[in-house]
Amino acid sequence: MISAGVDMGTQRVKLVILKDKQIIAQNQQFSGFEPTKAAEQAFEEALQSAKLSREDIQHVTATGAGVNMVPFSDSTISMMGADARAGAYFFPSARTVIDVGAEDARAVKCDEKGAMLDFVVNARCAAGAGTFIEAMARALEVELEDMGSLSLKAERASPINASCVIFAESDVVSLIHREEPKSEIARAIFDAMAERVASMVLRLGINPDIVLVGGVAKDVGFVASLKRRLGMDILTPEEPLFAGAVGAALIATKRAERRQ
Amino acid sequence: MASEIEKGTRYIPEMAQNEIDELRSSIKAASIKVMEENIARMKKTWKNRPKTMEYFDEISNFFGRREKEIREQKEAGKKVIGYSCMFAPIELILAAGAIPVRVGSGWYDTAKLGDRIMPVEVCPVIRSTVGAKMVSLSPYLELSDAIINPLTCDGRTKLSEILSDYKTIWYMTPPRVKDDPHALTAWKEEIQVIKGKIEKLTGNKITRKNLKDAIELMQKATKAFRRLQGLRKGAPVITGRDAMLVNQTSLWDDIERWTQKTNELCDELEKRLEQKEYACYPDTPRVMITGTPMIWPDSWKVPNIIEESNPQGVLVVDELCTGDRILYDPVGVDEWTIKDMLDAVSERYLMASTCPCFTSEHGNEDRVNWIMDRIKEYKVDGVIYYVIRGCILYAMEYARIKRILDRMNIPVYYLDTEYTRQDVGQMKTRIEAFLEMLEARIDI
Amino acid sequence: MLEIIAETLRTTIAVGLILAGILTILIWVRNLTKKLSALRLFIQTVSVAVIFLGLIIGPFGLAEWAYLGSAPKDIVIGTNILGSPYPDGLSVPTFACYYASGRTTTCVIWQLQSYIFPDWSTSSVYLTTGLERLAIAFGLLVIISIVFGRFLCGWICPFGLYMDLLTRLRNALKIRHWTLSERVNEGLRQSRYLIIAAFLILSVILGMRAIAGVELISESELGRYLELPFCQVCPVKPLFVLVEGGLGFMNLDYALSQTMGDFALTGWYLTSINIIILGVVTAGSFMVRRLWCRICPLGGLIALFSRFGPFKRLSLIKLTKVEEKCTKCGICKRVCPPQVTEVYEKKGDDVTASDCILCFRCVEMCPYEGCLKVEVAGKPIYKSKNWLKEEE
Repeated sequence: MISAGVDMGTQRVKLVILKDKQIIAQNQQFSGFEPTKAAEQAFEEALQSAKLSREDIQHVTATGAGVNMVPFSDSTISMMGADARAGAYFFPSARTVIDVGAEDARAVKCDEKGAMLDFVVNARCAAGAGTFIEAMARALEVELEDMGSLSLKAERASPINASCVIFAESDVVSLIHREEPKSEIARAIFDAMAERVASMVLRLGINPDIVLVGGVAKDVGFVASLKRRLGMDILTPEEPLFAGAVGAALIATKRAERRQ
Repeated sequence: MASEIEKGTRYIPEMAQNEIDELRSSIKAASIKVMEENIARMKKTWKNRPKTMEYFDEISNFFGRREKEIREQKEAGKKVIGYSCMFAPIELILAAGAIPVRVGSGWYDTAKLGDRIMPVEVCPVIRSTVGAKMVSLSPYLELSDAIINPLTCDGRTKLSEILSDYKTIWYMTPPRVKDDPHALTAWKEEIQVIKGKIEKLTGNKITRKNLKDAIELMQKATKAFRRLQGLRKGAPVITGRDAMLVNQTSLWDDIERWTQKTNELCDELEKRLEQKEYACYPDTPRVMITGTPMIWPDSWKVPNIIEESNPQGVLVVDELCTGDRILYDPVGVDEWTIKDMLDAVSERYLMASTCPCFTSEHGNEDRVNWIMDRIKEYKVDGVIYYVIRGCILYAMEYARIKRILDRMNIPVYYLDTEYTRQDVGQMKTRIEAFLEMLEARIDI
Repeated sequence: MLEIIAETLRTTIAVGLILAGILTILIWVRNLTKKLSALRLFIQTVSVAVIFLGLIIGPFGLAEWAYLGSAPKDIVIGTNILGSPYPDGLSVPTFACYYASGRTTTCVIWQLQSYIFPDWSTSSVYLTTGLERLAIAFGLLVIISIVFGRFLCGWICPFGLYMDLLTRLRNALKIRHWTLSERVNEGLRQSRYLIIAAFLILSVILGMRAIAGVELISESELGRYLELPFCQVCPVKPLFVLVEGGLGFMNLDYALSQTMGDFALTGWYLTSINIIILGVVTAGSFMVRRLWCRICPLGGLIALFSRFGPFKRLSLIKLTKVEEKCTKCGICKRVCPPQVTEVYEKKGDDVTASDCILCFRCVEMCPYEGCLKVEVAGKPIYKSKNWLKEEE
């Protein structure tokens, strides 16, 4: 049973090919202005690396914000459904899956089979999503990849009062002028983000184990802040960026099986 | 002196006439487009939509047939009495020979106009009504000789003041607690006062005969209304949006004709039920909406998403004062004396209401009971709790309803929105996820 | 032999007619807000006919009762219990006044008063002791109360029929009814137990005519009438006596001659107090629906044994409510003749009240399907329906 899952995110498109529920290929491209083309390219490259052709793929399921821009998909699934499925796949003990993407965040409650039981979305506040880190990294003049390790060096977080990303940026600038150590500012940034995400998850109710997916999950600084804020351990898969695509591919497998 | 300083001013600031005309024509064009689009979408979802629905499509057009009819009747001497909320005693208006018509605003575009004179935190329905007045958009509002405005919430209380610059406003004060005996006595007196005002405006006395006829007319309408609702209990033979359209047209249509047409529609639907000709698959997730008023045409935003998304959902019942609650409660008359009839009318409008503007020893238990009962009768799979940002009453009842629905093991989703079209994309994502969840639960 | 056949035939025809009547009403009355009330009126009329069967089927003009009138005395049911003669018969707790002619049952209150005093001991008429008779009467009261509850008040009682006819007259004249305030109703409710206690105690005291050796009332005519204190103030007695006298079933001259003549002095058949109270209750019942039922001691006795304590669980006829379906619209409270508020106020399940006469008007008028139900032995036999006007 070979299936594929496509996660058409706001920044990147991620694609995963599964064979008998094992990942045999994955690929990502920047969506840019032509997301459909990017999706096609991702598909071609993934097929090449797995030495397969299109006909070998029995079912493709798409998910993500641009779910309707994947012309070769056979069906669609919401991001929440995909996240739940992926969380249970990576960690069978997962009951809460938090997905922090580039521009929004969501939390999903799932059962051991990966079925979505409840969900909550934070789509209004950008300070709970990935672009916040990017904007702050720019303000601090630090490379995006270094933000995490930088923040771990800090013992405390500088005070950032603003509730909004736009104002937080000016807060950060004034903190730099006051010569606050960058590590502490970085930590404050991650703490602020973790606060947003945590309050969203609390609306859902925290059910261990908690799995964190999405591009931001790779950032050690954010993971540390979130662990601190939630007061519990958080599991992250090897490739958290591809979690949505994996979830979609698992759904594709199920649907292909049902068709048979 | 204080009253001197206000002389000649109005709540709504002066606007240039050409600006008013321009705005009115553009918003009117946009509104007509939205109405046509909604109807087209409903037709698309329901492939074999019955021909009888075309009558309701026609009446739902604010700027069409119904406006013309009311205008002609007004010129012939009849009075038009508008009402902004469901506490106005329609039977009394009908008994006096006047035309009752609802004047709530369902236009998103006029909400932006309302922003000019009140902050965005205010209920969008109020802002939209004021905006519509600013450009004299609403035909029913303009044609009203008087407007009954029950002061059920803060927004409406201040709305009276704004509109009273232009129209005769009769306000009514429903008590916030229904159970106290003095509350009912006070309400009955309010009804007496309104009766007097209606009689004075129309010049007709409300007698035993015409009140009895009006009550019986409304009872027939209630019967047709309930008949339509009853047909939604089983497999979906009518989509939720179409049923809501039929329900809402009763707010401004000629009641007798509406009753007749609704019965015709029900006859056809019953035939379809026998032949198993459904509007969508019988295993479509059955959704219930409860919350703030959802007025035609722009507020079709959320129902459109629910019934067009993938997976599809179907609205089988709602707890909306602009939906399945409109004509649900009849006036129950014991002895047909005029005092008893007035008592019956007063009680019907106050006691059966499920609006969260009421509270009691046990909170708003009427609403809780109604929702629980509907969920059981209509085999609802999930509930969408719809709140327009700015409505404190509905927003605050969410916690209680959620607790109860959790115990009943029914998923509920809190959907808050505004009078804007900008959040359709985001809303779609969330509703689709919710419907997916419902579908998955059905599978289990 | 022929007689038995004739009897059976007569009974069958009568029963057949009654069933036909019921069916006619159920089919003919289309308006759902009036159907049950029409049926109840019919059953009430049939009950009165059955209670006063003697007036219909005779025998008439019996020599030994000539002084009374053309009607026979009574065809009392249950005159023989377990081999002992029980001449006053079954006491169905409804107003089948002892003093009226043609009865099939006897008023419980009369029996309770009479068996305490004066007829405590055995005599030529009573071969059983007062205690035994009291036990039988009381036992019947309890059993019938448990089985029927105040259903008897709403569907069988002749005085109830009288009050309902007054209400219908008032409706025809389009006069609005009056309501009593909750406080007054509560007061009336409490006072009926006082009345029961009072007449039982008075019956004992006045029957003995002496307490601890001190004589209260001399052995005189007055004393004898005071042995049955309640019957001297009961409004039902003069109603039956006057009606029967007017219709010729009772010799009114004889009935009136049994009085002492002066105002407020007692007599067997009519007293001035009786008549005044009847007048007051009639006038009151014309404006206030079922006024007497709120204070009726007989109703109170039935309520005692069907609505309180352990009896509540045993009683067979109940009103139940499904909480979710109730919208608290208040129609049930408004249409209730004895102004019972428990149906409206109680949350759900058993909402039968002690004042409720089980006339089911609330169930008839409730516009929400399946909200109020009448349950007999746990099974619902009548539910509230969507009564909205039939399409013409």
